[in-house]
Amino acid sequence: MLNIHRLSILTQFELKRIFNTKNGLIALMAFCAVWFILLTYVISSATELVFSDGFKLAASSLFGSLGLSALLKWPVAEFSIYWLVAVYSFPIFTFLVSSDQTCSDRARGTLRFITLRASRSEILIGRFLGQFLTLVSLILLTLLACVILATVRDNALFLPALKQAAVLFIELAIIILPFIALMSFFNSILSSAKMSIVAGILFYTIGALLIGFIQFQLDSGLFLNFIFPGTQISSVVSLDGLDFYHYLIPILQTIVLLFVADKLLKRASI
Amino acid sequence: MSLLNSQSAPLIQVDNLSKSFGDHLALDKVSFSIEKGQPIALVGPNGAGKTTLFSLLCGYLLPSSGTITIAGLRAGDGNLFGRLAALPQDAQFDPRFSIAHQLTFYAQLQGLTRKNAQKEAHRTLELVGLADTLKAKPDELSHGMRKRVAIAQTLIGSPEIVMLDEATAGLDPINAREVRQLVASLSSEITFILSSHDLSELERLCSQVLYIEKGQLKQHQNLQSEEQQGFLTIRMRKAYDNFLPLMAGVADVQHIEQTQNNEFLITTGLVSPDSEPLDLQILKLCHQHKWQYSQLTNGKTLENRLF
Repeated sequence: MLNIHRLSILTQFELKRIFNTKNGLIALMAFCAVWFILLTYVISSATELVFSDGFKLAASSLFGSLGLSALLKWPVAEFSIYWLVAVYSFPIFTFLVSSDQTCSDRARGTLRFITLRASRSEILIGRFLGQFLTLVSLILLTLLACVILATVRDNALFLPALKQAAVLFIELAIIILPFIALMSFFNSILSSAKMSIVAGILFYTIGALLIGFIQFQLDSGLFLNFIFPGTQISSVVSLDGLDFYHYLIPILQTIVLLFVADKLLKRASI
Repeated sequence: MSLLNSQSAPLIQVDNLSKSFGDHLALDKVSFSIEKGQPIALVGPNGAGKTTLFSLLCGYLLPSSGTITIAGLRAGDGNLFGRLAALPQDAQFDPRFSIAHQLTFYAQLQGLTRKNAQKEAHRTLELVGLADTLKAKPDELSHGMRKRVAIAQTLIGSPEIVMLDEATAGLDPINAREVRQLVASLSSEITFILSSHDLSELERLCSQVLYIEKGQLKQHQNLQSEEQQGFLTIRMRKAYDNFLPLMAGVADVQHIEQTQNNEFLITTGLVSPDSEPLDLQILKLCHQHKWQYSQLTNGKTLENRLF
């Protein structure tokens, strides 16, 4: 049984890791700098280009061929480009940022101090929640910056931009969930963040080859792709006609990965 | 079943505990029980299995077989949080957070409010003489200071059992003495389990000794048992030519043997109630011959009992 008080203390401590330590603040500044450049030079410029009269037809054709024509109908153009950048970059960013949930504490022995005061399940879930809250805070930051960008261009876009930001916030928050859980899983069996990232890369490359081979041999087995977090991204990127099923995949992946990570961490030597 | 309502049950009960790492058997069917009370020493050569036993008791490792019951609960049980504390060997604090921050965090996990947790961090650091390092980060402290901070974290709240693995290793003599004094002063409230290679330190602090060798519990001795009666250990400042024959000639001395350089174990015979106590006879002999002794101990030294 998870103790809510301890879970909350563990989660808060994780948040302090980014917002209350020198290393965390440097990482946060780097993140803001990258997104400042993305918003100023990529999203803003691409918005002007894609929605310019001269490029409108080509953009419509390009987006249409990618199944993304719905994005062109969004009232705030900046968010169409923001979404295309964010939906692919945040999973990779999550993958890297959440690569050290328990492993460096385990290698250092710090986890030995903590496990005398909180259960391994509480540590796992507390850190998962801490990573999740950290990442959604960063997502929120970029969305607010995008709202400002759109509002600066046209004051009337403020409310539609806020509304669009809220929708994208929920979408992105759900998309990153299984990526954090995947790293929780690797952290429960590996001893360093670097090893967790390498394991993640191998999981996506060798795992994809293996599943491709199985599918080729069996002439079926598409369901095996569901083991990969983010498998639903290509079908949700247009945000058009989404059903509950699209949200169910990442949520189920998260639950399964956390369940397995919990079982492994409970048996791990620390 | 809690400690409070199970006064008759042992504080720690270990039955047939074994732990293997691959083909290596680190602990082999170890069984013992520990009652609440005076500190207990865990002794053994390097690689004997002491740290493995510590790790199993703390729930860091799962046993390959056997059972551990602490205050009626299995090792690692959530109800032991805050009741069992440990200084694990080589465990380090997170270098990114200040000492105050981390101790406060641990105290909060033990259920204290933020304000009380901060006070507790200060109190425990004061106990180890490091109250002025509250705001320091672990990397700013020396090895010895980090060790004392790690000891401070074991004292957060009101633990019933504190396990200290090599608590004084790497500490200078003054700090090592302060840690010993701290353990002695708290031993009426807390049952300490100490692992150390310093036998004289353990002898001064502990009432019981668990001796582990090659993964097996070879001895479980009570240092205050009556077996200790009938022995005296005397350590002389230097060698004296006629010491052994003259001492052997004392009426109540049954046997005397040299155990170390200038250290002798005296076995007493049946002492008649009318005769002068043997220790006084020995001291008189030393005085007569102007022999300088450094220590006279009732019973055997821990080293002589174990080896």
